[in-house]
Amino acid sequence: MSSPAATATPAAAHEGSGWEKLPYVLVVAGLIGLVVGAVSDPKQFGYSYLVAFMFFLSICLGAMFLVILHHLFDSSWSVPIRRFLEHIAFLTPVLGLLFIPIAWLAPQLYPWMTIDPHTDHALHVKVALFNPPTFYIMAAVLFGVWTLLSYKLRSWSLKQDATGAVECTFAMRKWAAGGVFIFAFSLTLAAIYWMKSLQHQFFSTMYGVYYFAGSVWTTLATVYIIAMVMQRRGYIPILHRRQFHDMGVLLFAFTVFYAYIHFSQYFLIWNAAMPEETFWYVLREQGSWWAVGMITVFGHFFGPFLLLLRIDAKLNLKLMIPMAIWVWLMHYLDMQYNIMPVYHPTGIHFALTDLAAMAFIGGTLAIVFLKYFHAHAPYPQKDPRFEEALGHGASSSADAASEHPGDED
Amino acid sequence: MSKPHGIIAEFDTPADVMAAARVVRKAGFKRWDVHTPFPVHGMDEAMGLKNSPVGWFTFVGGVTGYTTGMLMIWFQNAFDYRLVVGGKPLFSPLFAFPVSYELTILFASFATLFGMLFLNRLPCLYHPLLKNRRFAQVTHDKFYVVIETSDSKYSETETRKLLETAGSKHIELVEE
Repeated sequence: MSSPAATATPAAAHEGSGWEKLPYVLVVAGLIGLVVGAVSDPKQFGYSYLVAFMFFLSICLGAMFLVILHHLFDSSWSVPIRRFLEHIAFLTPVLGLLFIPIAWLAPQLYPWMTIDPHTDHALHVKVALFNPPTFYIMAAVLFGVWTLLSYKLRSWSLKQDATGAVECTFAMRKWAAGGVFIFAFSLTLAAIYWMKSLQHQFFSTMYGVYYFAGSVWTTLATVYIIAMVMQRRGYIPILHRRQFHDMGVLLFAFTVFYAYIHFSQYFLIWNAAMPEETFWYVLREQGSWWAVGMITVFGHFFGPFLLLLRIDAKLNLKLMIPMAIWVWLMHYLDMQYNIMPVYHPTGIHFALTDLAAMAFIGGTLAIVFLKYFHAHAPYPQKDPRFEEALGHGASSSADAASEHPGDED
Repeated sequence: MSKPHGIIAEFDTPADVMAAARVVRKAGFKRWDVHTPFPVHGMDEAMGLKNSPVGWFTFVGGVTGYTTGMLMIWFQNAFDYRLVVGGKPLFSPLFAFPVSYELTILFASFATLFGMLFLNRLPCLYHPLLKNRRFAQVTHDKFYVVIETSDSKYSETETRKLLETAGSKHIELVEE
């Protein structure tokens, strides 16, 4: 529900609601759970934490990708959602701090760290990448690169709020054009180092893009809900049917894209039937991991695909809110599927630290995000494409759309 | 004059024809259309047009294509001429998928194209509107609302009056 006052003055300072205390509760509860878990079972703690970390890294990198995409395509529809995407992308330095437990426990989590490469041929041929110093240097480089890129994209955008200068748009475009290459390489390296190297013998040229596809999928569902909340609370009254439609369409596209990528990875390995590749999936067909694989096929792809096929479905909040929750669950299972079989080879196993890690990392990021959000204007104020973005919503009656994005249908 | 096909009303601006479209929609006509020299944003809503049903043709075509692909490969490799290739099972949805997927797209595109033609009643080799001289301006700078006589709400005097009150300066009957 957009209040007229918020529409008139979208000021930088706006009041939070009681819900904004929730992240603090999550952080405290998560921290207690993690400390208990770390003391009783440090290895389980490490893997649980890694799953949650990779889950939230997905959303931060996904948001960075959407900002880059906005500039590369010079799009107008995404102007209203760009500011909070810039904030989410700039959570990467916070993730850099949250990486410390993983860096600390790395020798316990990644078996290759403690194996002598001279006794393991698979490791020996990859030793240029897989050796402890490179692991730590690479982590520092990755977080450095992401921080720089997201900082630049955000600071030029904030600068434009004040000056309205078109140079800011040009600068952001340059950072986006160079950034998309850095993004692709850095995301791939992150997926290889932090997830794939858990089984260092494995080969898959699609692994990076596989993580990317799932990440952007999850990000789009998250962004859809954030946009809905921002619109209802009146922070971003310029959000219209068009924005929700396009986010829904992209979510649908990435539903298919993820399936395409994951199927291709599986299909090529299945068809070639080479032991140094098949062992990865063979492990994931043991016990209840087989069921998780099936849930991925039907729950990650077929279900969402069929439900999102219709145009009006993408605007129907009764479908989209449960869908977003489902997307989170599916992506979380996907992260479990990639990481946990190393520690629990006989089947999926839920631990208290799984929940605690999600609560802690999610809560921490939410606190910083809300801090960012309240410190700046809720959407780009003087973007050259601003009028155009409004124009997209003008054709459908704006007031109806702001109450409920699906009213038009 | 032979049996009339419908009544056409001319308008000078997109805004005028849009307002007229709303009037005609509210009057409850079913067999009518708006013709403009270029796409007019918001006309779908003004006319009350729903999302095109052509998507259902696409969906059915896609499902047919997928099923055809799977059945075809199962029939050929695992039933009619059993042949082991590369140590793989006689049938698996995995190796059958790429072909089934291609057939999904092929059949879905055909169904979309032919479904569109069917719903638009195309090809149409003759249309009464095309021999009306005045109507030819629709490709230049005029906007038309056309109501067909086959519409159950149609009445020669009442419909003409309705279009006049909607603001048309030129109304005429078009013969079949």
